[in-house]
Amino acid sequence: MALIDIRGVSKTYNSNGCVVQALKGIDLSIDEGELVAMMGPSGSGKSTLLSILGAMNPPTTGTVLVDGIDLYGLSVEKRADFRHEYIGFVFQQLQLIPYLTAVENVLLPLAISKRPHREQEAMAFRALGRVGLVDKARRLPNQLSGGEQERVAVARAIVNEPPLILADEPTGNLDTQTGEEVMRLFQSLNEDGLTIVLATHNPENTRYVGRTIRIRDGRIAS
Amino acid sequence: MRLADISFNNLRRRKSKMVFVILGLAIGVATVVALFSITAAMRDDLQDKIDQFGANIVIVPQARELSLSYGNIAVSGVSYDVKELSQEDVPKIKTIAFSGNIATIAPKLLGAVQAKGAGESRALLVGVDFPAELRMKKWWEINGAAPSREGEILLGSRAAGVLMSRPGDSLTIDGRKFTVSGVLKETGSQEDSVLYVELSAAQALLGKPGKLSLIEVSALCKACPIEDIVGQLSGVLPNAKVSALQQAWKARRQTVDQLTNFSLAVSAVVLAIGAMIVLTTMMSSVKERTREIGIFRAIGFRRTHIARIILLEALVVSVVGGVLGWLAGMIASSLTAPYVAQAAVTVNWNPALAALAVGLSAMVGLGSSIYPAMQAANLDPAEALRFI
Ligand SMILES: Nc1ncnc2c1ncn2[C@@H]1O[C@H](COP(=O)(O)OP(=O)(O)OP(=O)(O)O)[C@@H](O)[C@H]1O
Ligand SMILES: [Mg+2]
Repeated sequence: MALIDIRGVSKTYNSNGCVVQALKGIDLSIDEGELVAMMGPSGSGKSTLLSILGAMNPPTTGTVLVDGIDLYGLSVEKRADFRHEYIGFVFQQLQLIPYLTAVENVLLPLAISKRPHREQEAMAFRALGRVGLVDKARRLPNQLSGGEQERVAVARAIVNEPPLILADEPTGNLDTQTGEEVMRLFQSLNEDGLTIVLATHNPENTRYVGRTIRIRDGRIAS
Repeated sequence: MRLADISFNNLRRRKSKMVFVILGLAIGVATVVALFSITAAMRDDLQDKIDQFGANIVIVPQARELSLSYGNIAVSGVSYDVKELSQEDVPKIKTIAFSGNIATIAPKLLGAVQAKGAGESRALLVGVDFPAELRMKKWWEINGAAPSREGEILLGSRAAGVLMSRPGDSLTIDGRKFTVSGVLKETGSQEDSVLYVELSAAQALLGKPGKLSLIEVSALCKACPIEDIVGQLSGVLPNAKVSALQQAWKARRQTVDQLTNFSLAVSAVVLAIGAMIVLTTMMSSVKERTREIGIFRAIGFRRTHIARIILLEALVVSVVGGVLGWLAGMIASSLTAPYVAQAAVTVNWNPALAALAVGLSAMVGLGSSIYPAMQAANLDPAEALRFI
């Protein structure tokens, strides 16, 4: 069975009387261990689909199953638990907490675990090691380059060892070379067995992924 | 990292705002503590005065027709149909349920006598039990000494003036000789005109062995209702009329009660202002942290986790505010109590009040952070991050 199974998902935003149909009937399944890119122009609905997949944004219609769990059949708190356990997010705008150091940002997801301090630190440094940033662990985000910040965000996503990583425009703010490094990082994480879904509008990135899903206007084009 | 670390980190980062909240709460708590301890000190002081100013219960014979008085009026005659009190009534007083509250029992026999020293006059003779009398009348200052031997007499200041006697002089009362052991300094009351002798001497002089005209009782009544003591005394002394002397203190007690009510009202207002400060600061803090809270929610923090972070911040701030407020309130009240109370009152450093202050502050701080905490907890992560 597929790790992710999306059936008939549509999403209509209705803000201040302005109705936007962001997704119009998405069917999609992704297997465990895949590295998938969602390609599409700005406004096509990539972020919306990722947030629905990430148990953060209830679809207007349709169901989302991850590991057989119907995400939107869960209570709000259980959905939070699901995010904690299953999902590592890399957000579109990085979203590092500016007053916390790199390692503290990475430690955040562990704050609600009952793990002792030493174990938490060990996990955080392992994650930072995985992205090659151990030596800059004590720096604040604004003391890091864009690529390094991106890697801190990746470390925070993997620290809890979730099976699924969702990344929204991970190379959007990076120059070509740094973007390629980040894409190679995702590749190697995927080789370790993580399932990764990322949204991008950069066709270059498709070179690194196993499958590309093209989204146009809220629908899967191919 | 624990949730508490996130809270503490936030507090550290937002020092100036938190100092503002702490000050708001501290001022509120300080006001409450100061008002509370001043009114408590005044109430204690009032009670001490009631105790100190002697008798608060007077027992006199039950009479149909009685013109014998000690309060403000002179003794004119003796009514013979009066069933007089006797010395046997004194031990009965100690048998009431509230006997533990009875501090002093001062039996007295009153009578008019002819006194002759260098001057001569009719005078009111009062036979007293000197040890009890002195304990009850702490304001007495005696020039000389209180009678300690038989045949000694203590004079009120006016009586001493009229009789032109000084300590050491001799006096003749109804033909019997007494030595003046002391003269009372002026008290401004009818005591100034009285001659005090030992009870047994008065009984002999007036020809009433074992008899008493009245019994003054001072009861310590911090908490007990004096009416109950009066009732119990009436029970054991059916032939006596027992009354409480409270009039004098009613006005002052009313003042203290009014001040207490006023304090409660002011406290409520000040605490409400403190609560508003906490509420608005916490609300703006939550607003500023929308993104951050969105991240927390996205990475799997439950709503209760978010609420805990906010409420822990509120708790820390309000406990600090409570402690500071208590300190400030105690210092302020210690300094101002004498002026506010217009008496030499002392403020009590009561640990229960400290606990109350901190508890109150925590209640206000937490209470007014519940709504902001709920707002934070209910933030929609997708909406908060707006990364869609
Ligand atoms: N919270 C929202 N309220 C209203 N409309 C929204 C909201 N989020 C997204 N939309 C709209 O839904 C559509 C899809 O947006 P989405 O962010 O999913 O696109 P995207 O493919 O991620 O675009 P980009 O590449 O610019 O990030 C857009 O038209 C957007 O304006
Ligand atoms: Mg997007």
